[in-house]
Amino acid sequence: MSDNLDLVSKVLILDNAVEYFDTIKQFCDENGLIGLRIHSNNVLRTLNSYVDLGGIFMAEDYAETLEKTLELAALIRKTRPELPIILRRKADSSSEIQADNLAKCFVDSYTIDDLSPLRKFIDDYIFSIVYPNALIRGITEISVQSLQSQFKAQTVTANAPYIVRDRIIFGEVFSLIPLESNWCRGYMMLQTEESILDSLVVSDVGLQYSQTPFRELNNLLGEVTNLIWGAFKNRFINDDVDRANRSVTQVPLVINHQNKYISFGSENPQLCFKYTLLDEATGLFCSIYQWFIFNLDFTPELFEEIQTTVDDLIDSGELELF
Amino acid sequence: MAKILIVDDSSTVRDQVGEFLTENGLDYISAIDGKDGLVKLQGDPGIKLILSDVNMPNMDGLTMVEKIRNELGNSTVNIIMLTTESNPSMKERGKAAGVKGWIVKPFRGESVLTAIKKLIE
Repeated sequence: MSDNLDLVSKVLILDNAVEYFDTIKQFCDENGLIGLRIHSNNVLRTLNSYVDLGGIFMAEDYAETLEKTLELAALIRKTRPELPIILRRKADSSSEIQADNLAKCFVDSYTIDDLSPLRKFIDDYIFSIVYPNALIRGITEISVQSLQSQFKAQTVTANAPYIVRDRIIFGEVFSLIPLESNWCRGYMMLQTEESILDSLVVSDVGLQYSQTPFRELNNLLGEVTNLIWGAFKNRFINDDVDRANRSVTQVPLVINHQNKYISFGSENPQLCFKYTLLDEATGLFCSIYQWFIFNLDFTPELFEEIQTTVDDLIDSGELELF
Repeated sequence: MAKILIVDDSSTVRDQVGEFLTENGLDYISAIDGKDGLVKLQGDPGIKLILSDVNMPNMDGLTMVEKIRNELGNSTVNIIMLTTESNPSMKERGKAAGVKGWIVKPFRGESVLTAIKKLIE
């Protein structure tokens, strides 16, 4: 369970029971969930338009028949197996679901009179990892600062950080950089849409491309990644601690371009931040998704924010002469 | 006119710093990593100041500085690190190798002008 009150997660709600809307909404509000309700005639299409979900709540009577609900659940499991689904059963349900059918599609079930399985579901599958508040706050600060330094003509804002279980890549361009410390091992990934970033950069005053636009954008995203990585290291990674004893384990990363899918070899939920670059003059905006994937190690008990003494404190950009 | 060598694997940074130097009437050439930096320095005796990143492929910035001082025997060229790194032990390594100054990215023009004024003008 996360100790961060600001950490949220998006869940898809496949439930048409109007009489339970308030109960489910209240549960979402009280547990840091953003419920996205959709209609049964466009589930897969809508599902494809979300790349950053944490899980799915589904009612047994969501489709016309229980059989069709199970078919739909099986289809969702097939296309997005990383998304856990919990089934809402009717309290007086006479429909029997075979145990193996239930286990194949759903991680658990609940009734509206007893939401404790729903609470366990989000604790086990969504907010299962503790992310220290100082880490979350620090990432937001350094990322906004780094983005603003490269997009001076745009206003940079950060959404509330959230937890994703999805493995779908957003946009066409992304960067990856390893994070190695005594408390974490994994990657930071930045993802964005090339054409929108391109429009935004072109609208920036006086920018001239000296290379093919996509290469310029790659370089720009690379530099933003480098700035955030550097600031992350300076704030959270003490290079002098226990370096010799760190694990060198690696796992393959698998990227499927056709399906915009990336696997880091871990089933863990991931920490996600979304930033918006807004050009106030034109109204153009671009989203940048930032994932932290601690797939190789995450030991939050060892996390510490590096304390800098006043004498050591040099603002970024300032010259320190020796 | 004193020439400045920018060493950075990021073309975005090379362009940003280069554009700033040109706007301020300063001449510069660029190198894409530490290895390239050594080659460019050896090929141009007019270089009076190097602005170098630390983390680069092929050869990192601090290794380049150590080679400039120890292998090329060049103790006169001024070197400023322009990097995301602010780790004290890394700064100490730079200082010991003969680095004259350290600027933590993101790049700020006034700091570069101050360095130029203090070190080569």
